[in-house]
Amino acid sequence: MPRLLNQGQTERLLDFLEQRFQIPKDSFDNYEMYAFSRQAFLFRKQQEPVTWPEGSFVRCGLPFLRNVAGFLKPTTVFIQRFGHLARKNVVELCIEDLNELCTEGEIIMDNVTQDLELPGYVIIKLQKYFIGAGLLLEGNRLLCRFSKALRQALSRITPQ
Amino acid sequence: MTPFLDLLEDYRDFIPDFPHLLEHLKKPFPAYFRINTIKVKPSEARSLLQEEGVAFRDTVIPELVKVISHDHKRPLLSYHLGHIYPQALSSCLPVLALSPKAGEIVLDLCAAPGGKATHMAQKMQDEGFLVANDRKRGRITSLLSNIKRLGITNTLVTQGRGEHLALPYQFDKILVDAPCSGQGRYRIDPVTGALKHVVKGKTNLPAIQKALIKRAFDMLRPGGRLVYSTCTLNVEENEEVVQFLLNRRRANLAGFDPPVESSPGITAFKEKKYDRQIGLARRFYPHKIDSVGFFVAKIVKPGPDGTAS
Repeated sequence: MPRLLNQGQTERLLDFLEQRFQIPKDSFDNYEMYAFSRQAFLFRKQQEPVTWPEGSFVRCGLPFLRNVAGFLKPTTVFIQRFGHLARKNVVELCIEDLNELCTEGEIIMDNVTQDLELPGYVIIKLQKYFIGAGLLLEGNRLLCRFSKALRQALSRITPQ
Repeated sequence: MTPFLDLLEDYRDFIPDFPHLLEHLKKPFPAYFRINTIKVKPSEARSLLQEEGVAFRDTVIPELVKVISHDHKRPLLSYHLGHIYPQALSSCLPVLALSPKAGEIVLDLCAAPGGKATHMAQKMQDEGFLVANDRKRGRITSLLSNIKRLGITNTLVTQGRGEHLALPYQFDKILVDAPCSGQGRYRIDPVTGALKHVVKGKTNLPAIQKALIKRAFDMLRPGGRLVYSTCTLNVEENEEVVQFLLNRRRANLAGFDPPVESSPGITAFKEKKYDRQIGLARRFYPHKIDSVGFFVAKIVKPGPDGTAS
């Protein structure tokens, strides 16, 4: 069963999103946060507390943060839905670089601007579209952290 | 003649423009994309589809576009960003009939793979509480995947047999898009004349459908609404299932005004007669709407004062 995060735990996740991506905390005023299966889920706030059904429960809400080796990683689906709220640590790639990132799993970025803090997770954009997460490391290495299905699809997408 | 074509002969009396139907079934299914407004503005989704070389045109359903041409071998960024959901036009009709709204408590009893459930979440503006249930673990995987891809946050996914599902909620609205023989999806191979998209199995579908509709009705709050739908033309799986509910529960049918051509539910078939109310249900035929054939019945549970709210 999912566990409703208490105020302190919720605050820790909101702090991460604000500090890493400058996403305002009040963006999530209408959501509750649950922990389930090593992931945190965003679930639309209900008028009354939800009783989870015994026996038939599978999942609730949208997985938005995952604990990876002790670090918080935003999920692809979270970035696609809420990435537009981020004001820093956003990397915009051209389609050729995105193809290469998906095919090779890693690229070296030519110019790392001052708003990018490394090492850490970044949000990857193509034009105005928020795609998923990358991991930016020393040496301007950008590692692909998209889901496998998205990575396979993007490696085959070509400009018209 | 195949058994299905024999069966169609039984339907000749009530299917309008019957010869046209037989010709129409030789054509491939047209493709439609529903634009997911939870994640993207319609104008942006359309613009990316155009950039990706997809030719499309508007339909009578504002969030749905009909695909004229695109390269099926080429993956679409629009799909992987969750901007679109490939969905037949007629598959949107049960959701339009149910008309879920933001803030309501809604159940999709047979939800996988999630076309109608995610459409309902979209109509609810991702607010309120949507329970998406399905029976099979394998189908739940595709349901979860679609809910995630479309960025939906208001949905609880449950796994259980719809006929016996026990949930601690009373629902404002419930959709029962029941497992069916899928006759509305059948196509005729224009070369061999063989039937395509045939669902095989010996399951007693009407028995399951009757149990589902009864269970769903019992989970509605007084004054709540239920939509029962199938993608089959079979009277035993449609009107007869609704009649079963009318015989056992104090339920009323309600009319709805679909945006495409439809025919009334059938009130007499072979030797059987059905309640006159069943005429308020709608039948959608493939050749009339250029999509999958569907049956949609909107049912109301009377409130404490005997009326629907």
